[in-house]
Amino acid sequence: MLCEECGKKDAEVIVTTVVNGQSTTRHLCRECVKKYKAGDIQAVLAAMLSAMGQKQQSPDITCPRCGETYQEFQKTGMLGCPECYQAFRKELTPLITRVQGRAQHAGRRPPVSEEEQKRLQMMEDLRAKMEAAVAEENFEEAARLRDELRAMTPAREE
Amino acid sequence: MSGIVVSSRVRLARNYQDLPFRNRMSPQQAEECVERTLAALRDLPEAYHFRTLRGLDDVERKALVEAHLISPDLLGHGDKGAALIRQDEKISIMMNEEDHLRIQGFAKGENLPDAMENALSIDDTLQRHLAFAFDHQLGYLTACPTNIGTGMRASIMLHLPMLTLLKQMGKVNQLAAKLGLTIRGIYGEGSEAQGNLYQLSNQVTLGRTEREITEAVTAVAKQMAEMEKVFREKTVAKDALAFEDQLYRSYGLLSHARRMSVKEFMVHWSNLRLGAAMEMLPISPDDCDRLLTNAQPGHVQKAAGRTLEPREIDEKRSEMIRSALNGGT
Repeated sequence: MLCEECGKKDAEVIVTTVVNGQSTTRHLCRECVKKYKAGDIQAVLAAMLSAMGQKQQSPDITCPRCGETYQEFQKTGMLGCPECYQAFRKELTPLITRVQGRAQHAGRRPPVSEEEQKRLQMMEDLRAKMEAAVAEENFEEAARLRDELRAMTPAREE
Repeated sequence: MSGIVVSSRVRLARNYQDLPFRNRMSPQQAEECVERTLAALRDLPEAYHFRTLRGLDDVERKALVEAHLISPDLLGHGDKGAALIRQDEKISIMMNEEDHLRIQGFAKGENLPDAMENALSIDDTLQRHLAFAFDHQLGYLTACPTNIGTGMRASIMLHLPMLTLLKQMGKVNQLAAKLGLTIRGIYGEGSEAQGNLYQLSNQVTLGRTEREITEAVTAVAKQMAEMEKVFREKTVAKDALAFEDQLYRSYGLLSHARRMSVKEFMVHWSNLRLGAAMEMLPISPDDCDRLLTNAQPGHVQKAAGRTLEPREIDEKRSEMIRSALNGGT
């Protein structure tokens, strides 16, 4: 059989990776195995995607903007457009957290106007309140906050 | 560590908010990506060269890859790719690579802050005019989730002949991996490091600031350079003449051979660079680094002005090396 990573050379090695209790088996050629040993982040992502594919955890979702399906992403590791991050958020979040080790961006941000900054801060506060409401099982309040948040989110350009 | 660290490089991945990523891009959208980038960068004060893959022959493409000004990946994806390269080759902006933009900043020696400054200056200019895909939680959005957040890869190129010779690279690799960094060979397929040149870079791009990333890479590079230095000194202390003998053998071959493959060149180049860094050979590290690029196949053919047969490349290469080392005798 051919190497699952490069699809070019013969697979000679079986690699089993265990990430957070989830084990993955992949058939690889000698070149691609080296990437694993070096802890190549792309290789780790490919392994996790392939594990999910094997277990048929392929949710049937399609990005409304570009038409990319989650299965396609699982095959290539590449997303179709920026909107895909929104469409596949639920599935991507645990994956990103495992690959990157962290889940919250730090560092540079695009320049924003003062008005925009205020709006973002308010949304941030609302989100925190909403999460607190959910934690307290105050779902009525959480739903109200969710609607408020939605109203503040600008309509997306098409 | 000046004799050990060769260069520093920072790469930023950026994507336009309203365009699909490469896999789903139409040819028109790929063109739009190039056009808007050029328009936003029209007023840059320094001189830049604009290159489209369509307008480059094989030799020119190879030469740009050898100089790290474009990536092999840019070549792998048809004719949509383009690059804007500052005349002094300290900045290169690739268009339609894996991401819409890959902004690269370069600096000589151990100097990630300058390399980063070079890349960020372009990022700033672009963001004054255009909107990049950004998410408050995930940072800058990229085609592959392994690059999100800062979208930044900071790398330092090191020359580590003694760590390699004394089989220390495995240990060094583990040390780097523990800190979320990775080491790769350059100028070579797979993990084989030709010329004992290695590239140390960050893997994780999310959740750390740009400065945290450059500081982590610099700290580990310094540690590696220090280890290399200790091993160099130890080896000289053991048998200085044997050490010098090795360096001069390579120097002799390089300055007299008539036909040399790139593989053989890389072996002797490593000794040349080592001798230069330790001031034991009559050449400077800077001249060695220039020679390294100029001896690669693309550069040799570019200098000849045409595509050459492999044997001709080896002949022209040794001619060029001889003239660089001793004026062509």
